[in-house]
Order: sequence, then C-alpha cells, then structure tokens
Amino acid sequence: MNSFTDWLPTLMIFLPLAGSLLLLVTPKTFRDEVAGFIAALTLGAGLAIWRGGGSELFRWDWIPPLGITYSVQLGGVSLALALVTALMSFIAILYAARRIPNPGPMLSLILAMETGLIGIFAAQDLMLFYVFFEDALIPALLMLAMYGKSGRMAALTKFAAYTLFGSLLMLVSIIGVRYLGGSPSFAMTDLKQNLVTGSAQTWLYLGFLTAMAVKLPLWPLHAWLPDFHEQNHDSGVPDVMGTLYKVGGYGLFTFAIPLFPDASLELRPILMGLAAFTALYAAWIAFRQTDWKRLLAYAGLSHMGFVALGVFSLNETAVIGAMYLLAFQNLYTGALFLSVGMLQERIGSLDTRVGGVMTQAGALGGLTMALWFASIAVPGLAGFIGEFSILLGAYQVSPWLTFIAGITTIAAAAYALTAFQHTFWQARPAGSVGVRDLVHTEWLILGIPLAILVLFGVYSTPALNLMQPAVRAVLSALGGN
Amino acid sequence: MLQPPDVKLLPLLPVLLILAGAISSTLLGFWVQRRTLTFINIGAVIASAVSLGWLWNRDLSAFGGSLRADHAALLLGFVILAGTLMTLLVTLDTAWRARVSFPEFDAMLMYAVTGCLLIAFSGDLIVMLIGLEIMSLSGYVLATLQGSRRAEESGLKYFLLGAAGSAVLIYGLAFVYGATGSLNYAVIAEKTSTLNPENTGILVGGALLMLCGFGFKVALAPFHQWTPDVYGGAPTSVSLFLSTVVKVAAFAGMLRVFSGALENAPGWHSVLAVLIAATLIVGNLAAVRQMNFKRMLAYSAVAHTGFLGMALLGTPAAGGAALGYYLLVYTLMTAAALAIVAALQRSEDGFSITDMRGLYYRHPGYAVALAVCLASLAGLPPFAGFFGKYLVFQAAFQNGYAWISILAALTSVAALVYYLRPAMLMFMPDRTPAREYGLGQRPPTTLAVALGVAGVTVLGLLPNLWYAFVAHPDIWAMLAGR
Repeated sequence: MNSFTDWLPTLMIFLPLAGSLLLLVTPKTFRDEVAGFIAALTLGAGLAIWRGGGSELFRWDWIPPLGITYSVQLGGVSLALALVTALMSFIAILYAARRIPNPGPMLSLILAMETGLIGIFAAQDLMLFYVFFEDALIPALLMLAMYGKSGRMAALTKFAAYTLFGSLLMLVSIIGVRYLGGSPSFAMTDLKQNLVTGSAQTWLYLGFLTAMAVKLPLWPLHAWLPDFHEQNHDSGVPDVMGTLYKVGGYGLFTFAIPLFPDASLELRPILMGLAAFTALYAAWIAFRQTDWKRLLAYAGLSHMGFVALGVFSLNETAVIGAMYLLAFQNLYTGALFLSVGMLQERIGSLDTRVGGVMTQAGALGGLTMALWFASIAVPGLAGFIGEFSILLGAYQVSPWLTFIAGITTIAAAAYALTAFQHTFWQARPAGSVGVRDLVHTEWLILGIPLAILVLFGVYSTPALNLMQPAVRAVLSALGGN
Repeated sequence: MLQPPDVKLLPLLPVLLILAGAISSTLLGFWVQRRTLTFINIGAVIASAVSLGWLWNRDLSAFGGSLRADHAALLLGFVILAGTLMTLLVTLDTAWRARVSFPEFDAMLMYAVTGCLLIAFSGDLIVMLIGLEIMSLSGYVLATLQGSRRAEESGLKYFLLGAAGSAVLIYGLAFVYGATGSLNYAVIAEKTSTLNPENTGILVGGALLMLCGFGFKVALAPFHQWTPDVYGGAPTSVSLFLSTVVKVAAFAGMLRVFSGALENAPGWHSVLAVLIAATLIVGNLAAVRQMNFKRMLAYSAVAHTGFLGMALLGTPAAGGAALGYYLLVYTLMTAAALAIVAALQRSEDGFSITDMRGLYYRHPGYAVALAVCLASLAGLPPFAGFFGKYLVFQAAFQNGYAWISILAALTSVAALVYYLRPAMLMFMPDRTPAREYGLGQRPPTTLAVALGVAGVTVLGLLPNLWYAFVAHPDIWAMLAGR
C-alpha cells in the first residue's frame, strides 16, 4: 500500500498540475526550462511505471458518504495512452516555448491539461473519471480563448456545448449505473460486480455513449471538431492537446464494455455502421479541404471512425488494433499539427495551395511526408498495424461494414497526398519569400514522434504485450465472445 | 388550567445575537458611523455562527416545539450566516457608492437575517410565517432604499408580488390547519401519515397553495417574474443578499414544510416536479439571451432554483443532505460572483457582458476568481458546484425522477453557454479602454471574494469537509421534529 510504486501513478497525474501552478510564480527567464523539466519528469515517471510492468490498483476513499473513491491504475492500455500523452505534452512544450511569444500561460495550460488527460486514463472510478474528463476541458477552453483566432467564441461555445451535452447525460448514466445496480461505490471493481441488467442497461449505455461519441467524435456529434482546430492558435500546440483529448475510444473500451456488455452486443451492428460511415464521410470531406488544420481535423475524425469500428466490433484483434491506433494516432496527428504550425510560421498561411515548399525546406517536407505516411497507414509505420488489426478483426464480425471502412484507407491516401503535393511540390509562385528549413529543436519535435512511429511500426511487440492482457481482461466481461 | 409557557432562550441564542445586532444598528445609528455599525454586525454574525457550533448536538427546543435548534436548523443557519457575512463585507466597500450608506440599511439587513434564521429554526407554521414576513418586509425596504427610479420600481414590484405570494401562502397555511387541526410540523406530519380521507382534498389544496406561496419566495417558474427586475434593479449588494441569504431561508422553509411536515401529504410532489421542469427550462433559456451580466446572474439564480428544488423531490434523507450541501456552495459562488460585480461595476446596473473582454489583463485576480465562480455555477469539476449538481441529480434520480435529472442535464448545456461566454471573454486580449470602475479593488470585498472562491475550491476537492456534517440521514428524517 505504501510502497513508492503505488504512488507513481498519482505522482504522474499531479506532477504536471503542480508544475502548472509553479509556473505562475516562476520568473520569466526560467519558465521554459521549468515547464520542460516538469514534462520530462512526468514522462520519466511513466517510463518507470512501464519498466515496473504497470502499477497496481491504488484505492483511497475520497468522499466516503458518496461512495466516491480515488482509484487509479496505470497498466496496459491506460499506461500506453498515458505515456503517449506525456510524450506529446513534452513535445508541445518544447515547441510552444520556442514558437509562442510570452508562452507562460500556454505552458501552464498545457501542463494543467496533461494532468486531466493522464487522470482520465488512470481513473478506475467512474466519478473520478468524470472529474478528470471535465477538468481537461477547462484548459482546452482557455487555450482557445486566450490564443484563438477571430471566430473563436463560436467555436468555443460549440465545443463546450457538445462536450457538456454528452458528459451531463453521462453523469446521469453514472448515477444510474450505481443505483440501479446497487453498487456500494463508484469504483470499477465494485461496479463490475453489480451490473445493471435488462433494458435499463441499454438506456444507461446510450447516455454513456453520447458523451463518448462527442469526444471520439462520431457522426453526427462531430461538428465541433473542425472549428475547434481551425480557430486554435497557428502554432498547432493547442491542437496537439486537442488531439489527445479525443478519449472517447478509450472511455468506451475501459468503461462501456465491462459495464454494459449486453447493450454493447445488442447495439453492435448500428454502432459499427455509424463508425464506418464516420470514417468514410470524414475522409470524403477531408478531400475537399484547403485549410491544413481542417484537413487534419477531418483526417483525425476519419481515424477515430476506425478506432470506433474496432471498439464496437468487440473482437479481440480489432480492439487491440483500435487501442494501438488510438495511441499512435495521437503521435502522428499531433506531430502533423506541429508541422503545420511550422509551415504557417514560414509562409504565413495555412492554405494547402501554396506550392514548392519542398525546394527550400526539404527536411520539413520530408519529415511531414513521413508522418503523413504513418497517418495513411503505410506498412512499416505504427498506423498500419493499428488499421490493419482493426480491419482484420472487424471483418470477422461484419464484412460489409469493414469493406466500407476499408475504402477509407484509399481515400486517406488520396486526400493526404493531394494536399501534400499542392503544398510541397508543384511550382513555387513567383516572387514568394524564401522558406527556412528546420532549425535546432524543430528537428526533435518532428523527429522524435517519427522515430517512435517507425520503431513501433517495425517492432510492435512491446506495445502489443502491454495492451493484449488488458484487452483480454476487458473482453472477458462479454462472456467469451 | 393555564400552563406556563415553555420559554427557553438558549435555543434562540443565534437568533438573539443577530437581533441584538439589528437593534444596536437601529439605536446606535444616531451616534456612530455606518461603517462602525457594519463592523459590529460582522461581530454579531460571527458570534451567532459560533453559538451555532456551541448548540451542536444538543437538540434543544423552545416554546413547546415551535422553535427548534436541531441539526437541520443549525446547518441551514450556518449557510444563512455565511451569506450574511459576505454581504456585510461587500457593503463595507460599495454601500457608499450605491448611495445606501446609512444605518437603516444595516438595521434592515440584520432584521432580515433575523427572519431568515427564524425560518430555519421554525417548528411550526406560525413561526415560519413570522420569520418569512420579517424577512420579506425587510427585503422590500432593502430593495427600495437606494432612492433611484430603478430601485423604486424593483422594490414596488418585489413588494406587490411578494405580498401576493404571502397571501397565497397564508391561505394555504389555513387550509393545512383546517385539514390537520394543527400548525405544528410534528403534529401535521403525524396526521398526514394516517390520513383521514374526508380532509384529503383540503390538505392537498393547502399544500399546493403553500407551494405557490413558496414558489414566489424562491422564484420557481412561473412565479419567478419579479426576479430579474428586482435582482437587476436593486443595488448589487442587495441583489447579492436577496439571491443568496433570502433564497436559502426560503428553501429552508420549504424543506421544513414539504420534506418535514407535509412529507406524506399527497399531490405536491408531482406539481413541484412540473414547476421545477418549467423553472429549469425558463431560467436557463432566458439567461442565454441576457447581455447584462447582473441580469444574467439573476436568471442564473432562477435556474439554480430549479436545481435546488430537485433536492426536495428526493427522500428527506437524500434530498436534505443534497440541499444542505448545495445551499452553502450556491451561496459561496453566487455571492462571490456578485461581489466582483459590485466591486467592478461603474453603475448599479452592473456591466454588460461585452465589457468583460480582457478583464484578465486588467484585474487578473478578480478575473480568475470570477472564472472559478462561473465554472462552479456551471457545475464543472473540481469546483464545488459540480458536487452540488451531482447530489441533487442523484437525489431526484433515486426517488424515481430520472426524467427531471435528464432534463436538468440538458438544460445545463444552455447554462454552460451563458456562463462560458463571460468567462472566456475575460481571457481574450483586448486593446480598448477599460470599462470598469477604476478604484474597484478594496480589501473587504476582496476578502469576501476570497472566502467564496476558497470555499468552492476546497469544498470541490474535499466535499466531505461540509458534506460530512449534512450527510447524516437522521438529521433530515427529523425535519418536523418528533
């Protein structure tokens, strides 16, 4: 109970928040270093947990009369996602410190959001999950408010309204899950032993699903996403955090399947259909975008359709693939947002129809292209393993829907390569300014994610070993499907 | 055979201390400055709060059970005093600017608090009614005291509608007496549990009339029409008082009467559910359209009435605990938000929501504090407003009102939109000249704001600090006494 390893997840969750508060009193000259150090320390804590093979469940009665516990555990899928969160937050801080003038508030907000996100992945209590789920929202809103563009108010309202619409219904469901099931607390261990049965389960699942579908996002609850990314700061730093905030797939996996097994099976065809439609529909819209951020937003939406397809199929291979894709999608989409930020810094525009950047900024173009390859699931990069596993597993459940979703991979290649070709190849417009290539930390910012994507694209065993037992444990709730 | 009256002053101590403050304000007002009186009153409030703690666990009563210092009374009394303390702190700074800086203001305020405490301590309908009338009459004066046309209009509106509400309430009270033959909560509760069918009609009628009367006092739709005008038109410190302390007291009365005396009476639950549904919809949707921040807070107070009312739909054990927690949190966050408005506004109209643009860059402390209050009002964790909301959702859900919980969740989305807009505007960079009062930050107001913000943050992270006191189901099972 009192050993240090039990405290590590708690440390990893709250270290960034402590850093965020520390930044408020740090003198300006050291702010970047302090923020970077805290983020690196958080990542270090995560790696230490990984080395120790994941943490045990830590439980403390937070509010005893309400049955709300502070139960956290980082292991398996949750550890993988927490590690990705810590890594991408570190990279975002690295970039924000260099790119954004007077980055103090931004760095604070990144760290504050990191706490919420890692908390979401670590929480093993439904109310605690809800608290972190909403906590991560506040920094995201503030980033948009403080650094956003002119249309931010509408984007912000839309984002918040969608999110809250879902999560408040989830809150009612959470209350229902406990009281209709008669569980003594909101801890997952207790809830799993007191499942709600019958039609009530389906209704509660729908409430829960709404929140997750907003976050995923799943058609038709996705409308906030493109505006959110378009109106955020050009640097792409808030977008990285926004990408990490798409925790719906994880929430469905960890909470919805164990708590609503019958309803998950019952609604499986409809939900898989929605997921497949989302993937294809988003890819189709992405094809028409001329703003890099909107393009990336729709690309992300399309990937999330894949993740949803995997989770909803309830097939072991597909669920592992979905979690794998969820983790690494955060890496490449995040890095791509940053590369778009770099592009914007150089040419002053987010338009895809620029042309000829490659001739002067070869490294930026090359790394961006490699990241796009990861995004469109080229074999040898981590995205491929995720998408392929999802398709392989989902095919066993529903061949036709999988076929529809599979078309998306072709569409993805089409929209990504078209946009890339427009921006980086083509002819350089006459009289345009010179474009600087990558300088010092920028190499790391794009290079580290890419290196990891290559590593796990070629040698996926460590990540799969981490995820497989967790997925099996969750799917066992379905009674050997 | 004449019985000697059961007069005990000890259970009355908290009320008497406040009354002493009120009387001293009335008399000393001829010789000393108002600020001195305010300090005396702050002392009286603190002494009264201490005496609440001293009476804890003694379960005293006086006047044959007409006045009870039981746990429920002490807890609700504490919430009333917390709001009063914050009001007094704010008036130290802003009463002069609001042109209500004369001793009568303090005297009226303290008389109103006396009435509020009487409601919380009431053991029968007559004491409750006396408290309610003291509170209301003082409230009418407070709303009018400023001497501006807006204040007069709001005061008159408050008086006319409040008087109508009181009349309906008294009528209902008479019906209940007619049906049960007693005004004592305990006797009514006993009679209603073994109901005589001949009187059921009268009892239901009485309960519903009382519900309407209380509906006026707490601003349940459709009896909420006066709220935006009164809260918007009265001086901000008075709005603060009316929307927190007075509302808490009215809810304390509702809790005593409906969850206590009339718990087993038929009919009122479903009517209350419909009224709450209307309140949630009307309050939240109307607030979205407000461009004046103070008026928006007034509608938000209406919306919160809906949430608070949901607690009354729960069983007394769950609902009382939820209401006990939520009322304190509601007082802290609403009072802190209005204190900031009082400190920063240029005129008593409050300020426009668009004027808040860039506030963070001019008054960072106040802006962050206001953002915390708004987040708490919107029910975002980790602030205490979230647990308040959760508790009332749970209370209603457990007692079979799942549809109200879902409706509340959906209308909360609208709430988020109107709380979010000012909160986010404050953090947007702005280059236009400041539109708030230049000398806006004074120590007492800042102290009140700090109390509120610290309260909602600490109670959000560790709700048990207060919830442990209100959570005990026995407290609320004895609302009507034995």
